[in-house]
Amino acid sequence: MALDPALGLPVVYLVDDEEVVRDALAWLLRSRRLLSEGFASADAFEAWLAEHTAPGRAPWPAAPACLLLDVRMPGTSGPVLFERLVERGLLDLLPVIFLTGHGDVPMAVAAVKQGAFDFVEKPFSNNALVDRVELALQRSAHALVERKTQETLRRALADLTDREREVMQLVVDGRPNKLIADELSISVRTVEVHRARVFDKMDVKSAVELANLLASVERR
Amino acid sequence: MRKLRSSVGACGANTPVAQFLPPAAQPMTDAPPAALPAYPPLRPRLLRRALLWGVLVVLLLVAQTLLVALTINYEAGREQDNTERAATEAAAEFRREMLRQMQLLQALAFAEAPGDAWRREADALLRLRQGLERVEWRALDLSVVAAVDTPYAPTLVAQMPRAALALEAELACSDASRTASPNFSRSYFVPLPGGQGLEVMELCVPVQRAGRQAGFMVGSFALTRVLESVLSAREARRHEFSIIEADGTRLARAGVSRGANVYVARQVLDLPGATLQMRADSIVGRPSLLPNITTALVMGLSFALFAVVLLLARDGRRRAEAERGLAEALAFRNAMEDSLPTGLRARDLAGAVTYANPAFCAMVGFTQDELRSAVADPAAPLTDAPPYWPPEFATEYQRRQQLRLGGHGRNLAESREGYETVFMRKNGERFPARVYEAPLVDGVGRHTGWMSAVLDLSAQRRVEEISRQQQDRLQASARLATVGEMASLLSHELNQPLAAIASYATGSLNLIDDPQPLEGSELMAMLRQALDRIAEQADRAGRVIKSVHAFVRRREQQHETVSAEQLFEGVLPLVRLQARKSGARIEIDLLPASAHSPARVRCDRTMVEQVLLNLSRNGLQAMEDATPLADRVLTLRARQTHPRWVTFTVADAGPGIPPDVAARLFTPFFSTRAEGMGLGLSLCRTVIEQHGGALDFGPGPGKRGTEMRFTLPAPKAAESGETSAPAD
Repeated sequence: MALDPALGLPVVYLVDDEEVVRDALAWLLRSRRLLSEGFASADAFEAWLAEHTAPGRAPWPAAPACLLLDVRMPGTSGPVLFERLVERGLLDLLPVIFLTGHGDVPMAVAAVKQGAFDFVEKPFSNNALVDRVELALQRSAHALVERKTQETLRRALADLTDREREVMQLVVDGRPNKLIADELSISVRTVEVHRARVFDKMDVKSAVELANLLASVERR
Repeated sequence: MRKLRSSVGACGANTPVAQFLPPAAQPMTDAPPAALPAYPPLRPRLLRRALLWGVLVVLLLVAQTLLVALTINYEAGREQDNTERAATEAAAEFRREMLRQMQLLQALAFAEAPGDAWRREADALLRLRQGLERVEWRALDLSVVAAVDTPYAPTLVAQMPRAALALEAELACSDASRTASPNFSRSYFVPLPGGQGLEVMELCVPVQRAGRQAGFMVGSFALTRVLESVLSAREARRHEFSIIEADGTRLARAGVSRGANVYVARQVLDLPGATLQMRADSIVGRPSLLPNITTALVMGLSFALFAVVLLLARDGRRRAEAERGLAEALAFRNAMEDSLPTGLRARDLAGAVTYANPAFCAMVGFTQDELRSAVADPAAPLTDAPPYWPPEFATEYQRRQQLRLGGHGRNLAESREGYETVFMRKNGERFPARVYEAPLVDGVGRHTGWMSAVLDLSAQRRVEEISRQQQDRLQASARLATVGEMASLLSHELNQPLAAIASYATGSLNLIDDPQPLEGSELMAMLRQALDRIAEQADRAGRVIKSVHAFVRRREQQHETVSAEQLFEGVLPLVRLQARKSGARIEIDLLPASAHSPARVRCDRTMVEQVLLNLSRNGLQAMEDATPLADRVLTLRARQTHPRWVTFTVADAGPGIPPDVAARLFTPFFSTRAEGMGLGLSLCRTVIEQHGGALDFGPGPGKRGTEMRFTLPAPKAAESGETSAPAD
C-alpha cells in the first residue's frame, strides 16, 4: 500500500501523557518509515494546531495526517479534544485513533460512532496498530486530494468571464450551440469560441464531463 | 365545682397516672399543675362549712324567736284593742242608758204631781228600767213630796233614813236649779241590809211649771245594776267592767268577777254634772307561749324544709354540673387515651389487667375484654399470664412481675427509664416493647396497682435493622471497591511497560524484516536502542510486580483473627442482594457439632470475603436456570474440622459441574460465562493458597449441586481469645 508521494510526507501525531508510550510508538512508527510528532497533552496539541491553522496560513494539513489520541490524560482528556476536532470539521483530514486503557471501551465505541476512525486497546498488538494508522493516513490522503480538486475547480470557475459562465450554464443544460446563440443574441461562431475556452479552462473534453464536474462542486 | 376540680387535680398531680400523660395533656386540669398545692387544706374547709351551718341555725333561731315575739305582740295588741272597744262600747251604752233614763225622768216630771198618776207612771218606770232604784218628787225646798221605790230590790232607805243620804241629791238639785237642766250628783255608798251596799248616783231634774221652777224630780240609780243592764252577754263574759271615779275609786262592777288585769282599758264617761270612768279588764291573761311555739315550730320546720329543698336543688344543680364536668373530663381523658399512640395498661397488685387503652389493644391485637377475662380465671396457675405474654417467656415474666409488683415503687427510678421486653400479638407475632411503669395510687393514697405505658418498638427496630443492613452493604461495597481500584491501578501500571516492550519488539522485527534493510551499522544502532528500552521497561514492570508483592506481604501482616460468623456477615448483604434477584434462599450453618467455641480463622478479611463472595455468586448463578425456585438454597457453612484448620463450604443446589469443565476449572482465563473474565476461581485459589489453605470442590451430598470448600488456618491457641491482632 502506498501513498502518493506528491502529497508530501505523512505525519502521525501522538497525544499521550506517558512519555514511555510516546517514545515506543514513535520508534515503532519509525521502523515502518512513518514520521511522528509527539505531544504530552491535549492542550499542547491544541496550541500547536491553533498556530498552524491560523488565518492567512496555507491550509493545514499539507500532507496526510493522523492522530493517535490517549483517552485518559491529565488536563484536557482525549474525548474532549476529539469533540473540538469534530466541531472544526477536521475529522476527514485528521482521522483520530483512540488509545484506550482499562475500561474505556464503551467510551471509545461511542467515539467511533461519532466519527472517530478507530480505537485500539492497550496493550496493543503493535503492527496491527501501525496498519490502522496507515489506513487512517490513506483516508487523510483521499480527503487531501479531494480538497485539492475542489480548490482547482473553484479557481477555474473563478477564472471564467460572465459571458463564458452564461454559455457554460446553457451548455450544461444541453442546448445546442445554435439555440445558445439565439438566446444570447450572438453568433454561433462566438458561442463556439466561448465554449472551447470554457472547456479549456475547466480542463474537460465534453459537455458531459463538464456537467459531472459542476455537479461535484455543487454537492459541496 | 370545687369538689370536681380538686378531685381532678388530685388525679393529675398526686397519682402516678399523670406521669404518663404527655405534656400536651396536662391542661386537662383547668389550673396549672404548679398551682395545685394552693388548694385549701381539708380543715379550713370543714371549719368554713361548720360556720355556715352555725350561721344558718342561729338565723333560724332568731327568726323563730322574732316570730314568736311578734305573734305574742300581735295577740296582745288585738286583745288590748278588744278591751278598748269593749270599754268604749260599755261606756257608750252606759251613758246612753243614763241619758235615756234622764229623759224618762224628765218625761215623768210632766205628770201631775204628786198624784196617783205620777205614782203609777213612776212605778211603771221603775219596773221598766233596771238600775233606777227610787224616784222622788221634791219640792223647791228639797223636801220629799212623793217617792216611789223599785219593786225588785230592798229599797235604798231600808238601812238608813233618807235624810242621811240626801246630801248628794241636794247638791245635785242646787246645781240643777242653777242651770235649769238635769244634773247628776256624785255617787255615794248606800249600805244595804246584809252587809251589802250599793253605789248610788242621784239625778236631779228640775220640774218646770209654766216657766217657773216648781220642784225637782230626783232619781236614784244603782250604778251596778245600770251597768249590768247595759252590758251585752258576750262582752260580759269576757271582761270585767267597772265604773270608777277619777281618783280611781271603784264604784260599780259588772261582767265577769275578775279580770286578768293585763288588758285594761279606761274610757271617760261624761254625764251632766258628773264625770266617771268606765274601766274594762279582759279576762284574757298574758298570751301563753306554748301554742305559739307550736306554730313557730311548724313554721320554722317548713322554713327549714324549704331551705333544705332549696339547698337540695342547689346541690343537685351543682352535682349535675359536677357530673357534666366530670363527664367532660372523662370524655377528654378517653379521647386523649384513645388518640395516644402509646399503649396504656393498668394492672392490679396481682398482675391482672384492669384497663387497657385502644392503642394497647391495637398493639397486642386483643380486645379489652379478652385482656381482662383472660386473667379473671384463677383456676389454672399459668392462665393468669396475660395473653400477650409469649408462652416461652411466661414463667420468666411471672417471676419478674412478682419482683416488680412486690417492689411497691421501690424501683421507681427504673420504672421511669422503663424496661424492654417482648410481647406477643394475637397472631403469635412477637414484638419488642418498652414499658414504663408507675404505681397506681387511689384516692386515699393506697397503692392499688401499676399503670404502664407501652411503646411498640418493632417499627423502630425495623428501621434500625434496615439502616444497619444498608451500612453493612455500604461497607462491603467499599471494601470490594478498594480491591477493584487496586486491580485497575495494577493493570494500568503494568500496561505501560508491557505496551512499550511490545512496541520496541515489534519495531525491531519490522526493521529486521524490512525488505529494504538499513545499513548494518544504522540497523544495529536502532536495534540496540530498542533493546535498551525493552530492558528498561521490563525492569519497570518488575518493579511494579515487586511493589505488589510488598503490598501483599503488608496485607499478610494485617491478618486478623475473625470468627466465621463475622466473615459471613461481611458478605451477606451483597449475597442477599444477589440472591433476591434469583429468588434463592441463603442458609448459614455455623454451629459445630461439638461444643467448640465459634470457629475462628486468621486471615486477610477483605480477601477472604472476596473469595466467599465469588463462590457465592458462582453458586447462585449456577442455580439461576436449572434449579426449581423452591430448591434454590445456597448454604454457607463453617466447621472446625481440625484443631488448626477451619473448613468453609459454599454449597449450591445447581446442576453440578460437568467433568470437562471441572478439569479446567482453575485455569486462568477459563470461563463458562460469556461475560466472565475467567479469573474468579483462579484468583480465589491464589488467595486461599496465600493463606496456607486449599480450595477444592466436589458434588454435594446425594450428588446434587456443587460444594466449593476451602480451608483457612485457625488462630494459635494464644491468639484465639483476641478478636483481631494488632496491625503492626
